[in-house]
Amino acid sequence: MKSISLYVDKDTYLTRLHPFAKMFYILAAVSAPLIGGALWIYGLFLAISLCLLISGKIIRKVFPLIAFSFTIIITIFLIHGLFNQENEKILFHLGPLAFYQEGLLYAARIGLNILNMLLAFATFVLTTKPADLVDDLEQAGFSPRFGYMISSVFQIIPQMMGTMNTIMDAQRSRGMETEGSLLVRARAFIPLISPVVSSSLINTRERAIALEVRGFDSKSKKTFLRERKLAGRDKALMALMALLIVLSVVWRVLTWL
Amino acid sequence: MKNLFKTKLNAACFVLIPACIGINYLGKLFASVLKLPLWLDSIGTCIGGILGGPVIGGICGAANNLIYGFTTGDSITLVYALTSLGIGVAVGIMARLGRMEKLSGAILTACVAGITAVVISTPLNIIFWGGTTGNIWGDAVFAWSQASGLPVAFGSFLDEVIVDVPDKLITLLIVYAIIKGLPKKLTSLYELDDEVLSLD
Repeated sequence: MKSISLYVDKDTYLTRLHPFAKMFYILAAVSAPLIGGALWIYGLFLAISLCLLISGKIIRKVFPLIAFSFTIIITIFLIHGLFNQENEKILFHLGPLAFYQEGLLYAARIGLNILNMLLAFATFVLTTKPADLVDDLEQAGFSPRFGYMISSVFQIIPQMMGTMNTIMDAQRSRGMETEGSLLVRARAFIPLISPVVSSSLINTRERAIALEVRGFDSKSKKTFLRERKLAGRDKALMALMALLIVLSVVWRVLTWL
Repeated sequence: MKNLFKTKLNAACFVLIPACIGINYLGKLFASVLKLPLWLDSIGTCIGGILGGPVIGGICGAANNLIYGFTTGDSITLVYALTSLGIGVAVGIMARLGRMEKLSGAILTACVAGITAVVISTPLNIIFWGGTTGNIWGDAVFAWSQASGLPVAFGSFLDEVIVDVPDKLITLLIVYAIIKGLPKKLTSLYELDDEVLSLD
């Protein structure tokens, strides 16, 4: 069954790290440059993320993600390089277009922020199995009902994709066109989506009854098959990240004075 | 209306949320398979809001973006969890006020949802991307507004209006058509005023 998660099943130290430690890394990587304010801090975290991704042997999976974000980064560079309100100093000409320094610097800051967030999230997403994450969240005191909600998304979506393919084939065999002009394609949308939506909503009824019968609404405390606790290396990483955030605050105060 | 935010948190509602998240995903997928210039990624959130009320709608929206952000690495989606939450709550409130019964009410709901989305997204767009949205039509308008010297906030607002309002209008028309076709057996699961009658 096709999964929607990007998790790569590899037994590296990154996969074994507790999900909370990796979330702490995201927190530090996103907040420290914003607090510190200097461009080089983005560079520092980009380098750390890249090192983590390379050492975790998942760097190749990151390229499609970066490629996807590049279109948005290019638009930002074009719009702000050309039209930003604070543009004064012309940096270079590209044919009839003049790019300005202020706008490009502003765009660079946004672009670096996007890349930094993307890579930090990639270290988490590519190395954490969603089911493990839900398990760990529940063990930390998260409501098991919400836990069920998250993990069932991963089961429902591949199931719905299957229904979607069946319905698409069925409607095509009845002569519905799914290619052509915009009007033709727009008209195909309702006959495609409404059977999938209705059938999946009708399925929820059965599912709800099945869950109620199995004690979903029971208030007693849940037990776990596998108990996972924060190991020494997880705590060390979290302490290091907290230190980096504190350092960025110190740096901001120092440059401010 | 004291029942506006009343929510039943039973198994039926907890099953509705993942189904709605799945529907959001399918809407987005169909829109990209058919190459439509719209997002159509909040169909499920709107259905959740209509069936389960504002609280379930809000949870659907926020959970949708959080789950996608944390599993597909799309941190762009993560930023808009607040917008999705707003859309779910707005549609839920309008549905509880009885606006989704008629087509005219559905159009009004679409306007409310669209404006909610614009109001929440515009500051996020300015903070994270300097005002662009990533949609070609909207960004062309933003570029024009910046070139003619309008303030960033206003340009970004226009950018978002052009993208969000038509998107929500079509989304809610689709949702209206789907909800009208649902069997009573299913919608009665989520009705608030159902009392269990005993025979003795």
